[in-house]
Amino acid sequence: MNEETTSRLPDPDQAHLQTLSAWVDNELSDAERAVVVEQLASDPQDSARVADYRAQNAALKALFATPQDNVRCIFLPRRAPLWRRAGAAGGWLAAGLLCGLASGWLGPYFSDDQPAFAKRADIAYAVYAPEQRHPVEVAAAEEEHLINWLSKRLDRPLTAPSLQEYGYTLVGGRLLPGETGPAAQFMYQNGKGERLTLYVTAAAKDTTAFRLLNDGKRSTFYWVNQGMGYALSGQTSVARLRSMAIDVCSALGGHPEAWR
Amino acid sequence: MSFEADMVVWLPALRRYARALTGDAAWADDLVQDTAERALNRWHTLQPQSNLRAWLLTILRHLYIDQLRKRREIAVDDDSAPWRTMAAPADEVDGLFLLDVQRALYCLPVEQREVLLLVGLEELSYQQVASILNVPVGTVMSRLSRAREHMRSLLKEDPGSKRPPLKVVGKAVKDK
Repeated sequence: MNEETTSRLPDPDQAHLQTLSAWVDNELSDAERAVVVEQLASDPQDSARVADYRAQNAALKALFATPQDNVRCIFLPRRAPLWRRAGAAGGWLAAGLLCGLASGWLGPYFSDDQPAFAKRADIAYAVYAPEQRHPVEVAAAEEEHLINWLSKRLDRPLTAPSLQEYGYTLVGGRLLPGETGPAAQFMYQNGKGERLTLYVTAAAKDTTAFRLLNDGKRSTFYWVNQGMGYALSGQTSVARLRSMAIDVCSALGGHPEAWR
Repeated sequence: MSFEADMVVWLPALRRYARALTGDAAWADDLVQDTAERALNRWHTLQPQSNLRAWLLTILRHLYIDQLRKRREIAVDDDSAPWRTMAAPADEVDGLFLLDVQRALYCLPVEQREVLLLVGLEELSYQQVASILNVPVGTVMSRLSRAREHMRSLLKEDPGSKRPPLKVVGKAVKDK
């Protein structure tokens, strides 16, 4: 590159200008500095130039003060393998907490070891939510039959909680193969045709963890309560989905107080 | 978690630099977001003894250059150019001079602007700037010197002419 060549062999004028710059930036050795001091004392043009350089620096600093104004959150979901390897920090890793300054907003929680049922729920959402002709096996018109059927297959009394408050009505449900047995998927839809699914299946651990699985556009909140795993999936905002998940958890006999 | 904590410290400075570099607050915020994400994905490549700030600036610069190529050319004389609507400069320095400096800054080619900002605004050493830009120190010095002289000549232009001639920041890329 031409520039690299000239930088190695600067002509005398160039070299002189670069020295004046280096003087302003405090990049000269003591010996070099002494020379420049003498030059500046005797050459008004040079001292004017140095003053200009300093004025430029001062102007840049005045123009671009460190932003203090609106604190903008940097939202950083943790991602898979490297984090898992580096992991150690326990199973649960916080995301969305890298704000330049405190803002009081804490992001949702992402995990790097989601249970199988949460992943299956997430995938089931991705498969069936876009379905136009057959989104469900049994429509909400036959809600009683739907609930009885799925309850029987899962061997648990199930209910499809109302999400009417959020503008979502039950479309229906279907039976799906789960990791350790059958799983039920309830589908909801709002006036704009946006869909949510509630996935229910037996879960090994009887914990009440409440976590978020986030895969690009869609998110899944999941929790386990009394031997059942629940997962609410949708493409709405994470905050909105979270508040719906809290209501659903509560409606299904869970205890969302812990993670509210 | 200490990596994140260390990085958070530099986020405001990254924003400042990004704003100065792009002249566009929204673009700058996106750049910082992208930089933070990329840094978190690659922090394992950071050598323990290396300078975190310089490393973050390097990432930000690569992203900026990439994004610049993808954006359409920006006419400096355009009244809707982002820096024309930036916040009014601080009051201790002559506001009109600052506006001239601001305008002149975006007349510089990107290579000159970034060196001027890294040295004059961020106060990094030539050596640090050389490693961020991945060029020899001599190149940093020549670019910096040209940038300052370029700024001087732009600032000394006849004030009657008011505006610099139409110039284009960055190169248009035919990727569409």
